[in-house]
Amino acid sequence: MKRLISGNEAIFQGTIRAGASYFAGYPITPSSEILQQASLHAEENPEFRFLQAEDEIAAAVATISASLAGAKAFTATSGPGFSLMQEALGWGHAVEAPCVFVNSMRVGPSTGMPTQPAQADLLQVKGGSAGDYYPIAFYPNSVEECFRLTVTAFNAAEESLSPVILLSDAFLSHLYEIVDLEGMEVKVIPRKREPLGRGQRLFTGIAHDKMGNTKTSHPEIYQEWLWELKDRHHQAAGQYPLYEYLPHQGSNILLIAFGITSRIISPLKKKFSIFRPIRIFPILEKELKEVTQSYRHIIVIEGNDGQYAGWVEWAIGRKVLRVPCLGGGFKLQWIRNQIEERLKGDGG
Amino acid sequence: MMDRSYKDLLKMKRLPHTWCPGCGIGAVLKNVAMALRELGWNYQNTVAVSGIGCSGRMAGYMNLDAVHTPHGRALTAAETIKTVRSDLNVIVLSGDGDLASIGGNHLLHTTRRNPDITVFCNDNEIYGLTGGQAGPTTPKGTKTITSPQGEPYQSLRLGRILTTQAPYFYARTTVFHLNHFKTCIQEALLWKGFSFIDIISDCIELNGRRLGFKTAHQMFKWFDERFHIVEGVRAHLNEDELGIAKAEVEEVPKAIEKVEVKPQVQIEELRLFTAEELQHFDGTNGRPIYVAYKGKIYDLSASPLFQGEKRMRCHIGGKDLTKDIDIAPHGEDSVFKFPVVGKLQVTTSLFE
Repeated sequence: MKRLISGNEAIFQGTIRAGASYFAGYPITPSSEILQQASLHAEENPEFRFLQAEDEIAAAVATISASLAGAKAFTATSGPGFSLMQEALGWGHAVEAPCVFVNSMRVGPSTGMPTQPAQADLLQVKGGSAGDYYPIAFYPNSVEECFRLTVTAFNAAEESLSPVILLSDAFLSHLYEIVDLEGMEVKVIPRKREPLGRGQRLFTGIAHDKMGNTKTSHPEIYQEWLWELKDRHHQAAGQYPLYEYLPHQGSNILLIAFGITSRIISPLKKKFSIFRPIRIFPILEKELKEVTQSYRHIIVIEGNDGQYAGWVEWAIGRKVLRVPCLGGGFKLQWIRNQIEERLKGDGG
Repeated sequence: MMDRSYKDLLKMKRLPHTWCPGCGIGAVLKNVAMALRELGWNYQNTVAVSGIGCSGRMAGYMNLDAVHTPHGRALTAAETIKTVRSDLNVIVLSGDGDLASIGGNHLLHTTRRNPDITVFCNDNEIYGLTGGQAGPTTPKGTKTITSPQGEPYQSLRLGRILTTQAPYFYARTTVFHLNHFKTCIQEALLWKGFSFIDIISDCIELNGRRLGFKTAHQMFKWFDERFHIVEGVRAHLNEDELGIAKAEVEEVPKAIEKVEVKPQVQIEELRLFTAEELQHFDGTNGRPIYVAYKGKIYDLSASPLFQGEKRMRCHIGGKDLTKDIDIAPHGEDSVFKFPVVGKLQVTTSLFE
């Protein structure tokens, strides 16, 4: 049945389709609708558990604990709340708990502009917690994709045994589009790990061996564990090399944009080639290299001051031009002017 | 022969444990294991959750599925596990720094939601694992490496925090009073709802030696001097009492007693005070505290709020408080309770 629904609602419906049975969250604009939807759903379905926690720290810890207890669990927040969740995210990677964290980005730092969209949490997603870990993150740009990628995020979480991040932004979360969710076919991967209460395992954030014995001064055990984790994450992510590439014959300029920005610049496809990464982390290294090599200029347009552009430069080994859309200012005409200015400055 | 079957509940292969000789945590772990064994709780129906710190390592020695959370988050994790898997028994093994300091917010809110979990708090009044820093439960005046002049603040009273909202179960015991300790564990594990055992424990290496104790046993004797066991179930425990405080339902607040309005004292018969005379009675040097209200002088010496103080928040003894009380949130009834001792001489001021 076709319905007019918002990005946030599509994300919530996606979690239900993926088999989620636990939600913990804390109110924050622009992700609060997911919290409200979850509370309504819990009222009608007693097997679905819901917690409005005292803060995002508790919400994140509860999400990971629920996952260990055997539930498919998720939480939703925005930038400032996501900062509070970093501790639990690191723990989630250490105890290898599959779950999904939705981060609907708004302008930061700190409280910033609560109702304005931004894309400035990328570095926070990549490495906001202590130590080395290898997060997987997806970023849709339409309401339909919000639904599909939520299911994908849950699947990637089950395969990588880690918290997977689904990015959104204030614009996309509140974007209404007509979609037929029931008619969409998606693949769902079930939980493999035995839930709690079956053995004598230890799920700990302390460095440990395979038996769960704490090993705090054994570099070789730690290295073995970390390489295995990295390998598993890249294998899981490798199954979802998601991107959208719109080549334009005769253009030697490639625009890179994702999420809300890619929607705003879509009219420019008549003039430029456009590449839209959907899997933000791990970086689409191979794909970026292949796509970018035939272009003279690469321009990254994003809602932050060059967070993704830095990763693109790292991946392809050459400089790119940057158009930062800051403070919620996403205007097509302004972006067009900026592109022209950048090209003039670069001898275009 | 002593029953040693409790060892099934412990990962004996992992021994010797990581704690210092003389530490109280070993006693906590052993007694919890014995109590679980007696109730028939095992790895198929029980999960242990712990936080960070010396006591946070306890869960790792239990022969159960154990979850070792980030610092302070044990209660949230335990509550969630109980929510998702209500068929499991969930116990929390952690310490005072973890539960009461960094996890303080979760302590308030988890108790409010009252999940059916049992919390064992190894309360050694110090941060042991990090080297002996002052904690929230360190008694005022105690010298530690982060309070070289003596801990300047009042310690957190867990017993009061945990008994504000019924239903509650709060027990205080020590690692020295073993029989009492066992009774408390048994009762706590069987309590339906959130139960909390505050186990006063010793940290001889990083707290005791600095306090002047030579052995753990000397600290145990000190616990015996500091605390005494109270029998029966109480609503609340004093700070020097060991026992169980529990309540299943909220006490219905008593109806507010109507303040008897005293018969009008003939204002003419009363002693006349000038403003200067009144100022003399401000509670200092053992003098009574008089305040004026609408022309009458009241003796507030018996007020518990003024006890030993010249000043109670914004109200000062020896003054005309008519204006203060008119705008105060409590109204004038709070003054009428007190005896009238005189009247204020009215002086007309040019500047009124």
